[in-house]
Amino acid sequence: MDDLLSEFLTETSESIDVVDVELVTLEQDPTNKPILDNIFRLVHTIKGTCGFLGLPRLETVAHAGENVLGKFRDGELVVTPGAVTLILAALDRIKEILAGLEATQEEPEGDDSDLISQLNIVASGGTIDGAAPVAEKAAEEDDMVLPEITQSTNMLPGQVSLEELEAAFAAAPGPDDEDNDENVAAEESAESQDDNILTRIGGVEPVKVIVHLFHNRILADATVKGLMAGINTRDSKDKMGNFFTACLSGKQDAGPSVSAAFAGFISHGITEEQNETICKLLTSVLEEVDLPPLEVDAFVETYRGVSVDILAEAREASKNNSKKGKDAATTAKKSGENGVANQSIRVNVQVLEDLMTMVSELVLTRNQLMQLLRNSDDSEFSIPLQRLSQCTTELQEGVMKTRMQPVGNAWAKLPRIIRDLQLELDKKIDLQMLGADTELDRQVLEMIKDPLTHMVRNSADHGIEMPADRLAAGKKETGTVRLNAFHEGGHIIIEITDDGAGLPVEKLKAKALKNELATQEELDEMSDNQIQRFIFHAGFSTAEKVTAVSGRGVGMDVVRSNIEKIGGTVDLKSIEGKGTSFSIKIPLTLAIVSALIVKCREEKFAIPQISVLELVRASHDSEHRIEHINNTPVLRLRDRLLPLIRLDEILGMTDAETDTDEAKSKEDYIVISQVGTFTFGIVVDQVFDTEEIVVKPVAPILRDLHTFAGNTILGDGKVIMILDPNGIVSQIGDNMNDTTGFGMEEEETLKKTKDDREAILLFGAGGNNCRAVPLSLVARLEEIDVASIEKSDGKPVFQYRGRLMPLVTLDDSYQLKEEGRQPVLVFTDGDKTMGIAVDEILDILEDEIDIELSSGIQGQVGTAVINGNATEIIDVAHYIEKAFGTLGTSSTSGHMGIRDQSHLLLIDDSKFFLNMIKPLLSAAGYKITAVDNAGDALRLREKGQDFDLIISDIEMPDMDGFGFAEKVREGGIWQKTPMVALSSHQTPKDFARGREVGFDDYVVKLDRESLMSTIVEQIGKTQNAA
Amino acid sequence: MKNENRDFVTIRLSGQLCGIPILSVHDVLSEQTITAVPLAPSAVAGVLNLRGRIVTAINLRERLGLDDGGEGNENMSIVVEYEGEPYSLLIDSVGDVLSFPEDKFERNPVTLDARWQGVSEGIYHMEGELLVILDVEKLLNFGTSQATAA
Repeated sequence: MDDLLSEFLTETSESIDVVDVELVTLEQDPTNKPILDNIFRLVHTIKGTCGFLGLPRLETVAHAGENVLGKFRDGELVVTPGAVTLILAALDRIKEILAGLEATQEEPEGDDSDLISQLNIVASGGTIDGAAPVAEKAAEEDDMVLPEITQSTNMLPGQVSLEELEAAFAAAPGPDDEDNDENVAAEESAESQDDNILTRIGGVEPVKVIVHLFHNRILADATVKGLMAGINTRDSKDKMGNFFTACLSGKQDAGPSVSAAFAGFISHGITEEQNETICKLLTSVLEEVDLPPLEVDAFVETYRGVSVDILAEAREASKNNSKKGKDAATTAKKSGENGVANQSIRVNVQVLEDLMTMVSELVLTRNQLMQLLRNSDDSEFSIPLQRLSQCTTELQEGVMKTRMQPVGNAWAKLPRIIRDLQLELDKKIDLQMLGADTELDRQVLEMIKDPLTHMVRNSADHGIEMPADRLAAGKKETGTVRLNAFHEGGHIIIEITDDGAGLPVEKLKAKALKNELATQEELDEMSDNQIQRFIFHAGFSTAEKVTAVSGRGVGMDVVRSNIEKIGGTVDLKSIEGKGTSFSIKIPLTLAIVSALIVKCREEKFAIPQISVLELVRASHDSEHRIEHINNTPVLRLRDRLLPLIRLDEILGMTDAETDTDEAKSKEDYIVISQVGTFTFGIVVDQVFDTEEIVVKPVAPILRDLHTFAGNTILGDGKVIMILDPNGIVSQIGDNMNDTTGFGMEEEETLKKTKDDREAILLFGAGGNNCRAVPLSLVARLEEIDVASIEKSDGKPVFQYRGRLMPLVTLDDSYQLKEEGRQPVLVFTDGDKTMGIAVDEILDILEDEIDIELSSGIQGQVGTAVINGNATEIIDVAHYIEKAFGTLGTSSTSGHMGIRDQSHLLLIDDSKFFLNMIKPLLSAAGYKITAVDNAGDALRLREKGQDFDLIISDIEMPDMDGFGFAEKVREGGIWQKTPMVALSSHQTPKDFARGREVGFDDYVVKLDRESLMSTIVEQIGKTQNAA
Repeated sequence: MKNENRDFVTIRLSGQLCGIPILSVHDVLSEQTITAVPLAPSAVAGVLNLRGRIVTAINLRERLGLDDGGEGNENMSIVVEYEGEPYSLLIDSVGDVLSFPEDKFERNPVTLDARWQGVSEGIYHMEGELLVILDVEKLLNFGTSQATAA
């Protein structure tokens, strides 16, 4: 592409971005003159430059926009949202054209007359010369032939004079050009001179053109444009023009003074470097207008001559007026001029990319050398290598810095988006941006730009409620969307917080059900947060209707996958009614990452540090060990049960010979990783140190392997594969969905086990047997001082919380400890509390209690296999009876009178539950018949057995409680028998359904108290009725 | 062009003499440490570090369906480039560079094994031996060749 054009494109899009932001600011603060001036200047520059480059379509649009801006500036029009929208539309059109220009290097075809006429209508809120744009257009076009004008002093007939041109550039109406007459005078006087540079270059008019172009260049150059901030370009052009005219004609005194002509340079404290840039710009302008080299030199020398004075005055000015300078700087900053820009140069991104690649290579080589050095004891290379290492590190940091950009760059478009949203949605939104100067890698920045925009848009569209709703909810009318970026441990965290409606859990549930992402049971067990995370699933927009703004089918799933692509993570917190907060965690850079080196079988692998949460060593004798549920390894870590993935299995590295128990029994290291919200452990054989690695893409042939994120060369020169936790997770996902294989089956089993699992307390109490009790029955675990155990009536008691607590032993042969502390399981029933003395508490785990051997021994429900060991399940009811002679009487004493005759039918598929509740109810004096399925129960009915009360579980295989109740109520002898439903879940919905099908009451399993009272109540009812 | 000579690097694979156009050979390597890549296609022996570049090693024997090992196995490899990526082809040994006139070139016999058909350009007669010319492009164009092999 033409250099000039590409430069124009870059600069113009930058200017437009600035204008975008500034306009929004202006709208909020319509009287802010510096901002308005800045906008006007930028748009004017765009217009001027495209006129110069011969881009009529672009120019007319810019011109029409500038017209309106001019009216704003002159106070003829008031800044209104409507007008701003129109100007923004014009900017959008310019962007469109620029995009076309970039693609084809030609202005795309198109009709802008609608937009322009609208702009003109706005502009002509007062009076505007309808022909103005046309005339101006003509003028601008003629700008293209200017170089020719400068070459010949004689103007061709029909060509537009420079005065007209100047007027055209001045564009929007403003105060009349008072200097005009003076100009002409100066010109004339200058023209009368012979044999000076001025005459040689063609007189006053070329100078004007040069000065005009010179100004444009200065304004377009990031390093020096600050020098013109706050300066009236037109004035400056005139003064500088006159100054040069005077100088070149050898009559320096006739023109304005140096300080007047270069007021901007001086007041902004031009530096040597900037001055050099100015000289270069001037030279390029001069060359562009095809001045002969001799004249170019002469012209530049003239400027150089005065620039000494300018620099001196500038230094003086900045010294004397440092405060004013500061103000100017602040103004410059406010109006979008970045002060740092003055110190910067523009470098092609590719150059930086190449540099980065080379540095990466250097880092690798350095690592290699250091490794060699470590292996040789005393090398003469050690000192220079240390230095090399130091330099490399600094170089690496330096180059990384060149790629760093403030995250604010990715936010630049957001104020505009929010502003448009406000209008479109009729909401009031305040966008706060904190930490915009937090820097991160350019590449990363590019990648998060779109997800960020999407999320902010979502927050504003879905999150923030309508003003009326907000007021009704007792919130401020204006909603807030806050972006906050900050560093945290080598990562950048970006938070997007809104104080809107939050994520509606119920709606999400419904949607999840509809999309078959989860079953009702699964949903019931999920926390709100887990449910809210469903929005990261595909096709999960919560907006009821698709607005123009968001909900176009691109959802948070895309956002998440984009963020994960760059090794980032995204999480959310949301409280319904209060707001939502997204938190994105991304690495500072993609090129060099810190990775954990692990070994699996004989191969080493690297795992990116960002996805590693912690490391756990697991062996049989350590605190953590790998347990198995149906051959699926799991790890209990604190209070969580983590699924484990064996790296060797995932990588297909298991082979029959080594895959023995011996291999599994050795110690393992578990890398706890997180992908999205899914936490899991990767089992590896060994963990080495962490190393800075340069991620290199794998060969195309290996690209299908999602398990790897890339490969790299380690310090020892070996190639190592980099694991991709995302890929690993998706791979196990694939396995689970593999319908042909074993995966499906496994998943089913897992699901089943999960449903039946309950928390079990394992303990030892005499003998070698492991014993267990459902944790839900245990009130507390205590350790009591043996010395404080007293005897009452020959039985051990203990003062516990101000009351006497009987202490029972599992069997009579069991001896309490002689000294030290005695672990005790405390059970509570009603107001009675008793303790069972045990040797030690072994474990608490989640497992399925499947009683395989029922026991004849008193105090034992039976034996079950828990965690691979035969375990005796103790019958708590028995011990309660033992402790108090009878069952805790407080809750049941009132029912004594009726218990003789009452016969209860108990239906529950859990044998354990039956075994536990049966002695309990019998102890309370009821006669119990227990069956473990509804079918058997119905057979009892056919046999003609009558009961006073039926207690039925809801969740049962084959026929569930609801179905059973319907059958019972259909007819037969049990039609009038009261029925109580039992369930481990209690939701109002279940309750309602239970009532509907004929249950009289609903009790939560294990809530013994209410079960007892319900039984009494129900039986009492029937007896009263009878 | 008709009678111009073409140069080939000759290699041996399970006794079979093959030739690779010399211009596509970047490097000849002696035995290297190769990092295995789990889950990779069977023809991929792994990855290795060649002066800071990561090179994918292709087990040519596997690729051509030859049996394992044999005498004179020096575990050498030849580095070629395909679509800008370096690949190292594991072979038994490297022989001389031979030059053949263009007109001695013969098409593959139609009865040649399909797997070989797919990767061979043609054949040169040598004294007492045949030289199979391997086409690097086709050798490394896994996408389609895998289908043929299957």
